Amino acid sequence: MNKFISTLLILFVLGGLVVGAKFFLTPKNVGINVQEERAKGNPNAKVKIVEFVDFQCPACAYGITYLKKFFDQHPNDLYIQVKYFPLTNMHRHAMISALYSECAARQGKFWALDDLMIPQQSQWEQLISPEPVFQSMATQVGINVDQLNTCLASDDARKVINDEKSLGQSLGIASTPTYFINNKMVVGTKSLQDELKTYFPGS
Amino acid sequence: MYVILRIIIGSIFLVSSLGKLLSPYQNFLYVIQAYQLLPSRGEVLTAQVFPWIELIVGVFVLLGLWTPWALRGALVLFGVFVVVVGQALIRALPLESCGCFGEWIHLKPQVVIIMDSLSLLLTFVMLRNLSSVKKFSLDLLFDHV
Repeated sequence: MNKFISTLLILFVLGGLVVGAKFFLTPKNVGINVQEERAKGNPNAKVKIVEFVDFQCPACAYGITYLKKFFDQHPNDLYIQVKYFPLTNMHRHAMISALYSECAARQGKFWALDDLMIPQQSQWEQLISPEPVFQSMATQVGINVDQLNTCLASDDARKVINDEKSLGQSLGIASTPTYFINNKMVVGTKSLQDELKTYFPGS
Repeated sequence: MYVILRIIIGSIFLVSSLGKLLSPYQNFLYVIQAYQLLPSRGEVLTAQVFPWIELIVGVFVLLGLWTPWALRGALVLFGVFVVVVGQALIRALPLESCGCFGEWIHLKPQVVIIMDSLSLLLTFVMLRNLSSVKKFSLDLLFDHV
């Protein structure tokens, strides 16, 4: 067979194999259930954002802070919900911070705890155990400590977190923060800013 | 020995490209953004196109098809890697992993720049010994037909 034709054939087969594999590996639709206690904004907003975060990840802290400011400027045009994606192999407090957040969410205090936990990330991430700090934050925002501790000891909260991480992995998430803006995947705060500019020119 | 080298170099590109291509391109885009070298559009274009170039170069080197051109391509790619990772190290950019192999293999930039420099050197040596490199290659098969 002619070398040029063989080359074209190899390229064609190669391309077909990769495109085929991508087609079968890529989820067809982002089937994400809304967790009301970790959502805020207008449910009918034109821009719906799902953020997969690790509370110990510095880039996530930056992203959460950026999105909070952006939300304050456009409260009726955004609907934001948070999903857990703790990178436990990289961040030793990733799971415990997610657990406190989930247990706070069950008392309707997710955002209140988030507002304390994120700005202080650089301090508590250095501690051997950040739990005394989280307990103190929980008290500050009016969380019932007995209920909190029962929740922390249960397997249920951990299961929710692990299930959301599995969902994220099935969606192709590899790093945090990863966002789905109207179902379009966006990784990192720079891409988040670029994508939001397409919906809110000039902001 | 040169045939084994050819297979190793080809496999490096093959694994590296598949690690990126089989994951959403946004993950590689995030890696590229960390190097702070390109404008936004350039970053998106690179994230979408670069893994395909790696794949083609890798398969051609592995099979020994258009070997001189494939090796020149590999030489350019390794050169690009050395420059990109080198500038990140000089600027002390906060990179936890080089991101070169997608999500499959995580290597520190300090390790990967040594690997890339060595691969660059080996590819150059292969280009100087093309007749040995072409053993068990498709090029040899086609040349005999």
